[in-house]
Amino acid sequence: MQGVIFFFFVILILGLFYTQILKHSLYKELSESNRIRVLYLEAPRGKIYDRKGNLLVSNRISFDVEVVFQEIKNEEKVIDLLSDILGIGKEILSTKIDYASQRPFIPVKIVEDIEKDKAIHLEEARLDVPGVIVTTRPLRNYIYRGTLSHVIGYLGKISEDELRKCKTYGYRMQDFVGKDGIERSYNDYLRGAGGGLQIEVDSRGRQLKLLAIKEPRPGKNLYLSIDIELQKFCDSILADKKGVIVAMDPSTGAILALVSHPDFDPNIFVSPNNFKKIQNLLSDSHTSPMLNRAISGNYSPGSVFKIVVTTCALESGAFDDKKTFSCTGTYIVGNRAFRCWKEEGHGTQNIIEAFKHSCNVFFYQLGIFLGADEISKFAFKFGLGKPTGVDLPGEATGFVPTPSWKRREFKNPWFKGETANYAIGQGYLSLTPIQVLRLASIIANNGKLVEPFVVERIEDINPSLVRKGGVNLHHAEPQDVGLRSDTLALVKEGLRRAVNAPHGTGLYARSEDVVIAGKTGTAQNPRGTPHAWFVGFAPLENPRICVVVFIEHGGKGGLEPARFAKEIIEKAKTLELL
Amino acid sequence: MITIARGYFNKFDKVVFFSALVILFIGLLILHSASSRYYSQNVLFRQMVWILFGIIFLFIILRISYQKIIQISYILYGINLLFLILVLLFGQARGGAHRWINLGAFNLQPSELAKITLVLALSSYIGRRKSDITKISFLFSVFCLVLPIFILIFIEPDLGTAFLFIPISLAMLFIAGAKMGHLVGLVSLGLSAIPFFWHFLRDYQKQRLFVFINPNIDPLGSGYTVIQSKIAVGSGGLWGKGWLSGTQNQLNFLPERHTDFIFSVVGEEWGFLGALILVLLYLLIVYRGIKIIQTTPDVYGRLIATGFVTLFSVQVIINIGMTIGFLPIVGLTLPLISYGGSSLITTLIYIGLLLNIGMRRPLF
Repeated sequence: MQGVIFFFFVILILGLFYTQILKHSLYKELSESNRIRVLYLEAPRGKIYDRKGNLLVSNRISFDVEVVFQEIKNEEKVIDLLSDILGIGKEILSTKIDYASQRPFIPVKIVEDIEKDKAIHLEEARLDVPGVIVTTRPLRNYIYRGTLSHVIGYLGKISEDELRKCKTYGYRMQDFVGKDGIERSYNDYLRGAGGGLQIEVDSRGRQLKLLAIKEPRPGKNLYLSIDIELQKFCDSILADKKGVIVAMDPSTGAILALVSHPDFDPNIFVSPNNFKKIQNLLSDSHTSPMLNRAISGNYSPGSVFKIVVTTCALESGAFDDKKTFSCTGTYIVGNRAFRCWKEEGHGTQNIIEAFKHSCNVFFYQLGIFLGADEISKFAFKFGLGKPTGVDLPGEATGFVPTPSWKRREFKNPWFKGETANYAIGQGYLSLTPIQVLRLASIIANNGKLVEPFVVERIEDINPSLVRKGGVNLHHAEPQDVGLRSDTLALVKEGLRRAVNAPHGTGLYARSEDVVIAGKTGTAQNPRGTPHAWFVGFAPLENPRICVVVFIEHGGKGGLEPARFAKEIIEKAKTLELL
Repeated sequence: MITIARGYFNKFDKVVFFSALVILFIGLLILHSASSRYYSQNVLFRQMVWILFGIIFLFIILRISYQKIIQISYILYGINLLFLILVLLFGQARGGAHRWINLGAFNLQPSELAKITLVLALSSYIGRRKSDITKISFLFSVFCLVLPIFILIFIEPDLGTAFLFIPISLAMLFIAGAKMGHLVGLVSLGLSAIPFFWHFLRDYQKQRLFVFINPNIDPLGSGYTVIQSKIAVGSGGLWGKGWLSGTQNQLNFLPERHTDFIFSVVGEEWGFLGALILVLLYLLIVYRGIKIIQTTPDVYGRLIATGFVTLFSVQVIINIGMTIGFLPIVGLTLPLISYGGSSLITTLIYIGLLLNIGMRRPLF
């Protein structure tokens, strides 16, 4: 009997040894997680200002209602109170509280973003109903709503894929991250670092004392090159038309305004219960409001491409402003007739006059004279066929065709007729509006190519240190594409006449206040009415602003786009941007 | 019998007595830690009063020869049986169990007293008919003596105490010289009756047994206690978190920590070393008890001592075993430490009886 008793005592001591020594670290950890509750403190995202310091994007306080199921004494009373104050159905609240009961010890959010008055009311009433907590957190506030949507972008909950990649950088599930625009491309600067509270709690979840605190660090503020007044003007002038307006300082690449219609209100993405609206926005393939047409839309440029062809001709050395071609309204290539937009023809013209008239027949002949390869070579020189490098996500490349590409792709030779079409900016060629803007800016900037950008600086950040994720605040020096000054002078003269001389196609862009130079485009497309283009800059001498206006299926570029461009440039002048 | 008169305090087992005092003292410290924040201070005071009464009872017992007590053992047995019936009829229910009779100043727990009266009655019966010990019919009559008390306590329900009587009876029969084969047969008979008893278990009791096998099936319900207790003991480590500093204890994660689960507080706050010292103190009492059994020629004294040593050891082993999840939760107190008057006074009385037997051994 003695042996049996001692045997069990030895087992007991071994059991204690096993539990307290061998399994100690496991149980220690469990006891810590029992006792310490970590409350996450969200960091406010950095604010966004325009070039003049106007606040564009800020944060407001969202009041949320949370419940700790353990502490609820009378569930019915809680539901009655919340339903009373918030005007929410009792069944909905009941389901949410059921959900909270699965994690009874921790606060579970059941209603988000309630009005301030209701929050105060609830805060007063909740003393009688334990278990209900009102918490606050910063919520993104897009002051100008849709006006800036395609510049700023929007936020969304982090995806599983993003989370997997970014976990080491302190991202958490349910975190909001930039999904588009500068919210996305500058997310790392805007987001800041979340903080937290370590609180000792007892078994009922009562908070007993604060063990440690880590203050959240707010995100960095961004200053944009955008001028909000000009942006608003561009937004209103484009009204409900599908299209794009971009204005840029041609000497630096600083974007002053960027509008793409239709747009969306980014506030929708941060407010709760907007699931349906968000779904609709994201799945609207008919008008594609989420598409930033300015940088992601590939379109036929039409006659605005004549700027490239003209430059190419003058630079080639084989052509000058003395040489002429004549236009009878039609031009036969092979067995096909190519028409000019003016049926009766333009007669005999030199290159500058033809450019002013935007004479297609002249450019068919010029194109065939130069050859498709030569034109493409210049198109590439103008930075076409690849992204401009603007600091916004999702930029398209556009497309510059070459005869060798066609042979590779279609096992077919390049036809002369295709060269003719190519020379007037039709056919396989496609460009994004921002590429069109930049090709005009090269002329305005005396042959120097700039990299467009919207973020001018980040608060407290040395620009030379910012070189991450395609974002480069150390703005590239303008690159000389190597054009002769006489070429530039002639192209500028063509652009000037197109707007200012009699019979110019861009007459609607003529202004009394400032000399505007520009080129219209009317791009045929298989889906209906042609796309309408105007790209130009002002003042002619020492240009300060370069504008592209593009209207999807907008008809003639000489009408609305030209007029819009003029009004925008005049507005910019009143805003002292010129 | 011969040596009662002079100097019998020479054979008063000081080791048992002082070990018990040290354990009582440790118990008060632990009870203070376990009760200071969430229970009223009353708990500590009442426990001290019980200890005082218990020690008074212990000394009264010392003065009366255990042989005299044996003579009235059937009367005590009968009274206890009566109390057990009363408790079922009028008892106070706590947590679904009828275990207490309200006696005004305190609540009496007759199942605790049964630990003494049954052992006394068994000693008396087995001692008197020692010559029949090898007969099966004798075993059967012993069984009949245990059965009424077992059933009454079982249906209270107080499973832990009821089942305690099985090892006690077996140990006493074994010491009295019962055949090993008979005892084994008895045990197997008992085991085969388990499905029958299972039928009578309440749902919460069945749940406890399921939870013993896997506490995580219901971590917030029946599994909660054992999980939290294991966390408490395990997180104590070698040195413990310090007196009054056990987070599991102080932050109220441990239920029943002043009664059945008080050992978790020892484990958490005083670590493996503290727990080991406490277990060794218990073992010291058990060891001295066994010595007393071995050196007592009187069969009654041997039987009583055997009953108590078994009772004491089994209770320590089961109580501590359940705090570390090695044994199912059966609601047994930790002798001399758990809060509760009946348990404390009962334990002190049988320690008194053990000392009593030790003192009345003949001198060699």
